[in-house]
Amino acid sequence: MMLKPTWKSTLKALLYLLPALLILVTFNIYPIVKSFLMSFYTNYDFFKNIINERGFSNFIELFQDPNFIQALQNTVIFVIGVVPISIILSLAIAILLNSKIKFSGLFRTIYFLPFVTSVVAVAIVWSWIFHSDYGLLNYFLGWFGVDPIDWLTDPTFAMPALIILSIWKGLGFNIIIFLAGLQSVNEQYYLAAKVDGASAWHRFKSVTLPLLSPTMFFVSIISIINAFKVFDEIFALFNGKPGPANSALTVVYYVYQKFYEEWEFGLASAAAFVLFIIVFLFTIIQLIIGRKFVHYQ
Amino acid sequence: MKKNLLLSLAGLFFLFLLVACGGNNTDNSKETSADAESDATTEDTSSEETAEPVEIEFWHAMSGPHEEAINGFVEDFNSEHENITVKPVNQGSYDDLEQKVMAAAKAGNLPTLSQAVTNVIPEYIANDFVAPLNDFIEDSEIGLSDEELNDYVDVFKQSSQWDGTYYSLPFSKSTRILFYNTTMLEENGLEAPKTWEDVRNIAETVTGDGIVGMGFENSYESEFQAILKQMGGTYIDKETHEAKFGSKEGVQAMTMIKDMIDEGIARTAGEDNYMSNPFGRGDVAMYIGSSAGIPHVASAAEGNIEWSATTMPTLDGEAATTFAGNDIVMFNQAETAEQEAAWQFMKYLTSPEVSADWAMQSGYLPVRYSAQETEDYQAYVEENPAYEAGPKQFDTGFFIARVQGGDAVRNIVLEELDKILLDEKTVEEGLSDAQEQANEELQQ
Repeated sequence: MMLKPTWKSTLKALLYLLPALLILVTFNIYPIVKSFLMSFYTNYDFFKNIINERGFSNFIELFQDPNFIQALQNTVIFVIGVVPISIILSLAIAILLNSKIKFSGLFRTIYFLPFVTSVVAVAIVWSWIFHSDYGLLNYFLGWFGVDPIDWLTDPTFAMPALIILSIWKGLGFNIIIFLAGLQSVNEQYYLAAKVDGASAWHRFKSVTLPLLSPTMFFVSIISIINAFKVFDEIFALFNGKPGPANSALTVVYYVYQKFYEEWEFGLASAAAFVLFIIVFLFTIIQLIIGRKFVHYQ
Repeated sequence: MKKNLLLSLAGLFFLFLLVACGGNNTDNSKETSADAESDATTEDTSSEETAEPVEIEFWHAMSGPHEEAINGFVEDFNSEHENITVKPVNQGSYDDLEQKVMAAAKAGNLPTLSQAVTNVIPEYIANDFVAPLNDFIEDSEIGLSDEELNDYVDVFKQSSQWDGTYYSLPFSKSTRILFYNTTMLEENGLEAPKTWEDVRNIAETVTGDGIVGMGFENSYESEFQAILKQMGGTYIDKETHEAKFGSKEGVQAMTMIKDMIDEGIARTAGEDNYMSNPFGRGDVAMYIGSSAGIPHVASAAEGNIEWSATTMPTLDGEAATTFAGNDIVMFNQAETAEQEAAWQFMKYLTSPEVSADWAMQSGYLPVRYSAQETEDYQAYVEENPAYEAGPKQFDTGFFIARVQGGDAVRNIVLEELDKILLDEKTVEEGLSDAQEQANEELQQ
């Protein structure tokens, strides 16, 4: 049943949306706007809220700061390193869990555990695993004749270490979403495909993937946004430093340094806003691509 | 469909702008009313004295046994002062505390008292939310006598003053000391090191077989500062606020540390985060770290190794060691009655008895000379000789200039020192780059 939109029904809808909107506006939209405005305050008393001067100098300074450029590069490397692998792995695991295997309930719980565990606890455990002398990872690699790697103290390996941790941490959430998507695919499509003699690969390519595309779309948007915002993992894994020689400095970490450690409020806001624009653009690009490839049932 | 999307995006942006303008206006009006309020409070201050009961909040970043000790002091103080109730609030780690103070300052609801890292106080002063203490100290009734004031350990007294004005009292203070593995040294017929030369000799002798002779914390910029000072160099000029560590002395100091690391006779804590664990495992024979780390070393070493601690090594007879840690500050958003009550509590926390008690319970340094002379403390040090090393260095202690932008400089220095140790830059390049960036930061 579809009702024609009237003023009354719109008002009614607003009323229902109001609680969520209030929270969103107060804690998300207002801060975004405020930081956008703050990024133009070049001479600003943060505590008394007195703006003496506005201008673009924060943005100029930002793009002249080699650390910010490095933060941008690191963030992009991180996103490229984490998102595709995470999606492929979690899709594969979700398909396995969706097939009729024993103890699938148990496995679902196990895969979901990293997601519900605190980032700090996870990072501490991983910093033990990555330890160059006493770590499990180097111990295993030693079986294959690999020399011990300084995962956490060598700038070359700090980012890979962070990416491994983040993929592992994010798997659970993606798996659950994919599982839900897989279970909403009607069994009849598979039966029909089987009757037509489609192989398992064909069934995956021509039935599962297209019907899973809305889920895939959702997961990729969420994953990319989250990957751009990475901070906690770095802070905990490298004990409050952005990796050796800034090798794991990301944009959010840069914002944190500028805001909380160095009291550069304008600069921090400008950096945050640049990140917002980047994420915004990526999301729009995805929306446009999504329009072409996503099939809604 | 596409049009709808663009429309709604445009709508969203429009909404942002609307909210933005609205938000600004309300902020300004709040601002003025808050100003009016604070004006009013400063005017009608002196009329009321401390007759009415006052409740003040004390924010700190102490947890576990340290928090219990603080709660104990607060209880004693509250029962002694009928009209004053101090409420201690644990705000998490030092970082958390700093962030919450920042947020509270912005919102205008700062507590009356808080623990604060000495290096962040310049920002508090510059933004005008910390109260100067001179009026309280000089007050004939509730102030400190000259004798009392001189009883505060000189290096702490100095580090609580900015241009002659007291903005804090010292509380949880620490210094750098050298920890050493007694068994390992005895086996090699070596004595505890007194000079950097000794350190080098011992490290060369004991290194090998999975053992590294000397250890530095990841925050070894403190040792860099100390050696720099021992060589006669300056880190940041406190008069001109100019970074000077890129000097010839700076290069020498850093080269000294780097040479030991490159030769494999020294290491940094690296992925172990703090040196206490590798030291406790017996992986390193000596290390220089914070005196506040004594309890951590004790628990890591338990059942593994025998150890002790001594003063910072000297260079050509020159002794110097950095003192750091936390002070207590009073914020100026509180009313006069609250500030007076807060002052009483600050005085109490830094009194000789409490300071000695605190030092024994926490491992921080006593902040009063007479605290060291109390019987309890003497007996305690006799039992735990490692605690002797810290107070022994009171006369050779110094602190780096506490200036606005200090934390930014610290980030710069840590980053460049990292690059030097990783051989991405030479010592000269790294230090002069760091100095240049630091000066840009400091001249702002």
